Amino acid sequence: MHIPDGILPIGVTAAGYAATAAVTWYSLHKVKQKEDPRQDIPKASLMTAAFFVVSLIHIPIPPTSVHLVLNGLMGALLGYYAFPAILIGLFFQAVMFGHGGLTTLGVNAIIMGLPAIIAAYIFRLRKIGNKESPRKDGVFGFLAGFVALGLSVAMFVAILLTSLPADLNAAVEQTAIFALAIAHLPLMLIEGVITAFLVIFLRRVRPAMLSSL
Amino acid sequence: MKLGIDEYASLNSPLHRWDARYKLVGLIILVFAFSFLRDLRMLLAMVLVTAAIYIVSGLPARFILRWLRFPSFIILVIVLTLPFLSGETVIANLGPLALHQEGLLAALLIAVRFVCIVTVGITLLGTTPLLNSIKAMRALGLPLIMVDMALLAFRYLHELGQDLGRMLTSMRLRGFRQHSFSPAGLKTFAWLSGSLLVRSYERSEWVYKAMILRGYGQSSRPQGEFKTHPADVFILVAVALTAAALVAGDILLGHNIAAILQ
Repeated sequence: MHIPDGILPIGVTAAGYAATAAVTWYSLHKVKQKEDPRQDIPKASLMTAAFFVVSLIHIPIPPTSVHLVLNGLMGALLGYYAFPAILIGLFFQAVMFGHGGLTTLGVNAIIMGLPAIIAAYIFRLRKIGNKESPRKDGVFGFLAGFVALGLSVAMFVAILLTSLPADLNAAVEQTAIFALAIAHLPLMLIEGVITAFLVIFLRRVRPAMLSSL
Repeated sequence: MKLGIDEYASLNSPLHRWDARYKLVGLIILVFAFSFLRDLRMLLAMVLVTAAIYIVSGLPARFILRWLRFPSFIILVIVLTLPFLSGETVIANLGPLALHQEGLLAALLIAVRFVCIVTVGITLLGTTPLLNSIKAMRALGLPLIMVDMALLAFRYLHELGQDLGRMLTSMRLRGFRQHSFSPAGLKTFAWLSGSLLVRSYERSEWVYKAMILRGYGQSSRPQGEFKTHPADVFILVAVALTAAALVAGDILLGHNIAAILQ
């Protein structure tokens, strides 16, 4: 779900870089407000590498297979580190595997990274009320994963269809949006379910990871 | 996990010798100039510039063919469908499908720009070790937190990839069928991912302690990592002038892929 090079006009790619610079600056500004921001850098870095590797796992969904995006979980676990982590991950994906692109790095970072920050806030909502439970973590984990991927898909489709260097008629555009939404709904559900399972797993095995960054 | 963009970074060509900082700036100028172009004649000029850069780099043809062999799925879908979905001027009928001139030109624009941007990007980044490219970004002002995260993530990508491979092998040996779908399989995939994340988290704690013992955080942005030579500036000026000429030519010719037909 990364936009490759060659499709978007220069105005959109430049705006993507400008927006990414602004969000990265704000994320780093929030990170630096911590007592010792250095302490979290190795954690955020290794988690960046781990998310990158996990995103290479292909899950069989007959007749094809899908890979996880996990930007919702990144937001939930990394907080404001999620945006720079996603930017770095996308850079490595572009130069190592040719996924995404160099001119579209900014746009893709916004598509993946902004929903991750929103997912971080969604996941924090689990602290409302005084009773914590695995089920509550699971529900908010599901919402974080489901909503983050849903927002990413919506932004991806909107940017792609409005930036194509050709005019599509309204009927074709509506069909494309409908088809992409239907195609991605199972993926959003799978992403939500796996994020929920992961959150419950981490709560059991290493609860500190859910509130460390 | 194959991490091979810089496998030919040890060759010796003018591009390999070009200072990584100037190379990054030149790359940004060039790919953004490429993404500006729309005129069919300037697309041809862009292909020639791209071919010239690749030839000067001395990289083998199989290197770039490997990158272009499986173009992005989105590019394929767009390039194959646009000629039939977009435009009004019918130039051919293929059964029930009408081939439109406007859609065909848009597909051509996307395909050529894609190939050229990818080729130039891979060429310029492939002629420098990736670590040097990241250090060059640091020298150009990338925030130190980002640089540290990128260097550390890069350092552990390969190891975590091997960890994942070992874990998948262990699961298969215990009877897990990786290629068949089941709801319980989703939980297994989640736990596999979770185990990898926990391992990384624990390793990061040891890494942080080791880094602190070695004085991490005491030094600021390193100075003197790169040294500018006149040739570095000369190549950058040549690249910038080429990019400017492409953009100016495109504007003068009408900034429209169909201009030649009008």
